[in-house]
Amino acid sequence: MNTFEGYRRGDGTVGVRNVVAVMPLSVAVSAVAARIAEEGPDRVHATPHQLAADAPEATLEQTRRVLEGVATNPNVGGALLLKLGTEAVDGERVADAVAAAGRPVETLSIREEGGTAAAVAAGEEIVDDLATETAGARREPVDVSELVVGVECGGSDATSGLASNPAVGEACDRLIEAGGTASFSETPEFIGAEHVLAERCASEAVREKLLAYVERREAAAELMGADLRGAQPSPGNQEGGLTTIEEKSLGAIAKGGTTPIRDVVPYGADLPTGEGLVLMDTPGYDVESVTGKVSGGAQVIVFTTGRGSTTGNPIAPVIKVCGNPETWERMGSNMDANASTIVTGGDDLETVGERIYGTILETASGRRTAAEVRGLREFAINELQPNELGYFEGEPDPAEAGGS
Amino acid sequence: MSTADARTAENRREPGIRDRVLILPSVICSHEVTEEIADRVPGAVATPHDHGCAQIGRDNDRTARTLVAMGDHPNVAGCVVVGLGCEHVQSDALAGRIADRGVPVRELSIQSVGGTDACLEEGVAAAEELRADHAVENGGPDLGDLTVGVVSTDLAEPTVGRAEPLVGEFVDRVRSAGGRVVVAGTERVRAHPDAARERFVGDREAIEELLSDRGEPARAPRVAREAGEYAPAEVGRLWGEGRIEEVVAYGDRPAPDSGLALVDSASRFEEAATGVVAAGAHIVVHVTGDGIPTGHPLAPVLKVSATRATLEAVGADIDVDARETDAAGLARRVRETAAGEPCRAERHGVTSFAIERAGPSL
Amino acid sequence: MSDDRKAIVLDGTDTVATMLEGGEVGHSLAVEGDVELAEEIPFGHKVALRDHERDEAVRKYGEAIGVATEPIRAGEWVHTHNCDSARGRADGANADAAAGGGRS
Repeated sequence: MNTFEGYRRGDGTVGVRNVVAVMPLSVAVSAVAARIAEEGPDRVHATPHQLAADAPEATLEQTRRVLEGVATNPNVGGALLLKLGTEAVDGERVADAVAAAGRPVETLSIREEGGTAAAVAAGEEIVDDLATETAGARREPVDVSELVVGVECGGSDATSGLASNPAVGEACDRLIEAGGTASFSETPEFIGAEHVLAERCASEAVREKLLAYVERREAAAELMGADLRGAQPSPGNQEGGLTTIEEKSLGAIAKGGTTPIRDVVPYGADLPTGEGLVLMDTPGYDVESVTGKVSGGAQVIVFTTGRGSTTGNPIAPVIKVCGNPETWERMGSNMDANASTIVTGGDDLETVGERIYGTILETASGRRTAAEVRGLREFAINELQPNELGYFEGEPDPAEAGGS
Repeated sequence: MSTADARTAENRREPGIRDRVLILPSVICSHEVTEEIADRVPGAVATPHDHGCAQIGRDNDRTARTLVAMGDHPNVAGCVVVGLGCEHVQSDALAGRIADRGVPVRELSIQSVGGTDACLEEGVAAAEELRADHAVENGGPDLGDLTVGVVSTDLAEPTVGRAEPLVGEFVDRVRSAGGRVVVAGTERVRAHPDAARERFVGDREAIEELLSDRGEPARAPRVAREAGEYAPAEVGRLWGEGRIEEVVAYGDRPAPDSGLALVDSASRFEEAATGVVAAGAHIVVHVTGDGIPTGHPLAPVLKVSATRATLEAVGADIDVDARETDAAGLARRVRETAAGEPCRAERHGVTSFAIERAGPSL
Repeated sequence: MSDDRKAIVLDGTDTVATMLEGGEVGHSLAVEGDVELAEEIPFGHKVALRDHERDEAVRKYGEAIGVATEPIRAGEWVHTHNCDSARGRADGANADAAAGGGRS
C-alpha cells in the first residue's frame, strides 16, 4: 500500500486536492478575496491574511515567498491573485511562478477594476472560469515518494508525547521508508530537545544550521524582555500535565519519527520531494506553522492534539490525530484518527502508526477530513516583526550556518 | 484599576452609533467559528484575528487589552467570547474583564462545549439572546457626543495638500463642539521630533518614549520615508490646530478629558483603525490616496480622498471627495453616518480586522 | 492490589512517572519500585519516583525537563509549582542546569 490517487500537475508535482485559490496580496483586499471565494463552487478557497501592503524589505520578501509557495502548492489547480494595486510585495513574480508551475493564474486589481463591488463581480467570473478550466483534472495512481507530509502539533498535553506524537512518528518512518518526505517544524519546540535532534542530523552542516535556528528562536525571550515561559507551555498544555518547554519539546520531536534529519529549511521555503525527513524553521504557533509547510509544498498535514485543536487549512487537508481518550470522546467530531488507545492500553504504537499511515494515504486520495467537512480553513502568514529585524540586524542568517 | 477601567465603569452604556453583537475570538484557532456564528445572526459581527497564543510579554498584553477594548466598545451591544480552550488569552478571563465593564457577555470555548459543531450552535443561541435583550434607538448624535478616529495611510501630494487639511479643519470643529479625537500614525511625529515636542502638552515621558529610536525599521516604511520629506507643518495639519494632550498605548483609552490623543500605532490602516477604535472612536475618518476599501467590524469608516486617479478608479469605494468638500460638508457626512447611514465599506460588506503586533510569534 | 494506578516510566533514568489515570492520596503505582501517592494527581500529570533536592534536575524521556524549585519527595505531584524550565528565560537563570541537560 504505497500509492495514492493524486492530480498530476503541469510541472510534474502531484496534488491531493484541486483547489482554486483566491489569494490577496495584502490585508487591504483580504475581505474582498473572502467574498469572491464564498460565491464560488466548493473547491474555491480564499487565503485571507493580515499582512500589509507596505512593510520592511525582509518582511515583504518572506511574504512574497509564502504567497508564491502557497500559490504553487501542488494542491492548487488554479489561482486568482487579488490586489489593491498599490502593494509593495511583488505580485507579478508570484503570478509568474504559478504560470511556470503549469497552473492557470489570473490577477485582479481593485483599482483597475473600479472598486470593490466591480472587483467582486469580476472575481466571481474569473473564479468560475478557473473552476471550469481545472474541472478536467483527474486523479491517477501515484507513488508515495511524491508525497510531502507536514507534521504539526497543537493543543498538546501529556498524551501528545506518549501517544499521538510517537504514533505519527511511526507513520512518518513508514512514509520515509517508502520514499516519501516528512517535515516537522515549530522551532521553539526544539528547545530542550535540540541535542537529541542534533545527533540525528545527517551532516555537521545541517547540525549547525539546526542549532543556529534554535538559538535565534530562544533569543526571542531576550528580545521581548520576557520569558518564553509566558507562552510555552500554554495554559492548556499545563492543564494537560506539561510543566516546561523542555518536556513539551521532548514529546513534540517524536512526531517526526526516528530517521536522519536531511536538512533544515527557512520558513515557507521549498521542501524537497523524496528526501526523507526535512525540518522547517517556523514559530510554534500552529496556524502560521502549517502555512509555512504548505508553502513549502506539503500536500497533507498531520496534526496531533491532546486538548483538541480543530483548525484546518484552505489548501491542504489537515488530519487531526488525538492522543487523549477524554478529548476523543468529547470532540470526536473534529478528529480524524484515534491514538488514545495507546494510553488506554488497547493498541501498541506500531498498530496505531500503521493506521495513521493508511489515513494519510486515504486522505491524499480524497477522503475528506473533519476540518474539511466543517469548512474550517484557518490561515495566517508569519510576519517578520520590525523589532526582530532590528534585533538580529547584522547577525549571520541561520540558513547560512554550517557553510551549506 | 487603570484609568481605562475607571472611566468605563462609570460611563458604561456610553451611547454607541451602531448596535452590534460582537463575536470575539480569543485566539486564531476559534476565528472561523466566530465568523460562522456572526454570519448566522443578523446584526452580529466577528473580529477574526491572528493572535491570542504564542505571544509573550508586551505583545501578549497588547492583544488581550485590545480584545477587551473591542468588547467594551460603545458600538457593541453585547459580546460572545469564543475560545479554543488551551490558548494563552483564555476566553473566560477575557469575558470576565469585559463583563467587569458592564457589557452583557456570554463565553464558550470549543474544547469545553465538545467541538466546533456544538460551539456553533451554542454561539448562535448566545448571540441571538444578546440581540433580543438589546435594541436601542440611535438618537442621531451631535459632533460633541462623538469620539472620532483619524487615520491617514499615505502622504501623496493630494493627501497632504488637500485631504489632510480638510480633515484637520473638521477635527477642530469636533473639538470645539466638545467631542474627542483620537489619531493614529506615529511616523509623522518621529520624522519631526522638535515639532512634536512643541505640539504636545501631556506627559513628557510618554512623548520622549514615543520619539526614542527603537533601532527598528519602520512598520510602514513608505509613510515613514515620506513624512521626513515634508515640512513639519505640512504633515501636522491632519490633526487640526490643537495640541496633542496624550499619547495612548495601543489598545488603551485616553483619559476622559483628552480632547486630542495620539495612539501609538503605525500607519497601516487595518491595525491603526483597531488602535483608534480601541481608544474609543465611534467612527473612523480614513484619508487614503491609495483607495484602501476596507472598513472595520465595529466602527463605520468614512473614506476621504483627494487623489484624482484614485477617485476616478475606485470612486465607488470613497465616501468623501476632498476636492469638492469643505469641513462643514465632512461634518455633515460624519453626523449622517453616526445617525445610521451606512458608509461605503458597510454597504459593500468589506471589513478587515487586524491588531498591531509588538513582537514575533513564538 | 486494586488501588494500583496505571503510570508510565519512559526511561530507566527518569525521576518521574506519568499518570495514565488519575490517583488519590495513598494509591500505589503500577510501576517498578514502591511509590505511594502523597497527594491527588490528575491524568497525564507527573509523580516523583524519588526524592529531589532543590535545584536538582527532573528527568523524563531520559532527559532533563527542568529543575526542582523546592525539595520534592517521592510520591508528590511534579508540576509548575515545584518544577521550572531552565530555558528561554529573560533572566538567564538555571542556564547551568540546562547545560547539564545536555545542550550541545
